[in-house]
Amino acid sequence: MKTAWIALAVSLALGACAHRDSYVLLPDQSGQAPGSLNIKPAEGGGQPVKLDQAYQTATSTMGGGFDASRTDAEDVKRRYGAALDAMPPPVVRFTLYFLEGSDELTPKSKADLTVVLGEIKGRPVPDIVVIGHTDRVGLIPDNDRLALRRAEAFRKKLLEQGIPADAIQTAGRGEREPLINTPDEIPEPRNRRVEILVR
Amino acid sequence: MNRALRFLLTNFLLWKTAMFGTGRQRAVIVGLAKSACWLIGTCAATAFAAEPGANLWQAQIKVSRGVVNIARDGQRYPGIVGARLKEKDVIETGGNGSVGVMFNDNSTLSLGPDAEVVLQRYAYDSTTYMGAFDAYIKKGTVSVQAGNIAKQSPEAMRMMTPKAEVSGTAKNYVVSVGE
Repeated sequence: MKTAWIALAVSLALGACAHRDSYVLLPDQSGQAPGSLNIKPAEGGGQPVKLDQAYQTATSTMGGGFDASRTDAEDVKRRYGAALDAMPPPVVRFTLYFLEGSDELTPKSKADLTVVLGEIKGRPVPDIVVIGHTDRVGLIPDNDRLALRRAEAFRKKLLEQGIPADAIQTAGRGEREPLINTPDEIPEPRNRRVEILVR
Repeated sequence: MNRALRFLLTNFLLWKTAMFGTGRQRAVIVGLAKSACWLIGTCAATAFAAEPGANLWQAQIKVSRGVVNIARDGQRYPGIVGARLKEKDVIETGGNGSVGVMFNDNSTLSLGPDAEVVLQRYAYDSTTYMGAFDAYIKKGTVSVQAGNIAKQSPEAMRMMTPKAEVSGTAKNYVVSVGE
């Protein structure tokens, strides 16, 4: 009789362990506040839990609710290392600048090009978003065309380097999204640019 | 590649014709061969251009280790690096498997061993950052990195499990089901 009770207790404990769910808020990798996470039980099983500090954890209970507790970097690595190690490399952003009214890169940006290409070629399956911009000199339709021409000029360079066409998206934003705000018709070299997203 | 294929095909047919045809036959066959090759080339190019279209696919596998599969429309495909994913796909990992997926809004999901995740819903507008991202984590550990969709509206990205629904302003977190 006693052994039966022990067996029951053990199987209950094992059952609980086997079906335990955990939710862990991790620190923001860019060093900002971690934000917050709301965990709502699926079937009216208890109160929602809010996590708002790094390494705070919610663990499911037998009653259908969640217990809040705390863990640390080491424990997270031990329990979830395989998933964390499989995270895709972070997205990298670059900006290259152009000569006035032209789709030719500035001498400085021509030199930076090797860094950009190095980052792209270092990835097994890169996909790239290129967005062209202009300063506020000239008419809006002309600047739309110039912005797109800048993005296309960069795309051509990538194609020449053997990057497949389906891995590159281009867009032109004209003078709508200046890096530096200026009144209309003011030349601003820092706005004559392409923004490149490599992921 | 298309151009090379077309070149080879044309030359093969020309060579055949040169061996067996007479003058008039030859001209007809050469003409036919050329238009056939042009057709093949055009169709191939169209099919190729239509396939990996930016809006057709919502994500791509960037990291893949051990056994990783994608279940789509009742079929199972190997989840290799470079494979594209879309709404309704199911990602599965084996006992030694792990996989890292990058979405169009720069969100990422990475799965540890013995995991199963259904991409229930994914929509994203790259101009407004508006979208909807629902994933159902049936089992296993998933490391989540929120992207532009959640940045724009935190409620628009939800991780579902059998026991809970998770959302918020968090950038990085882990969900582990049946640990």
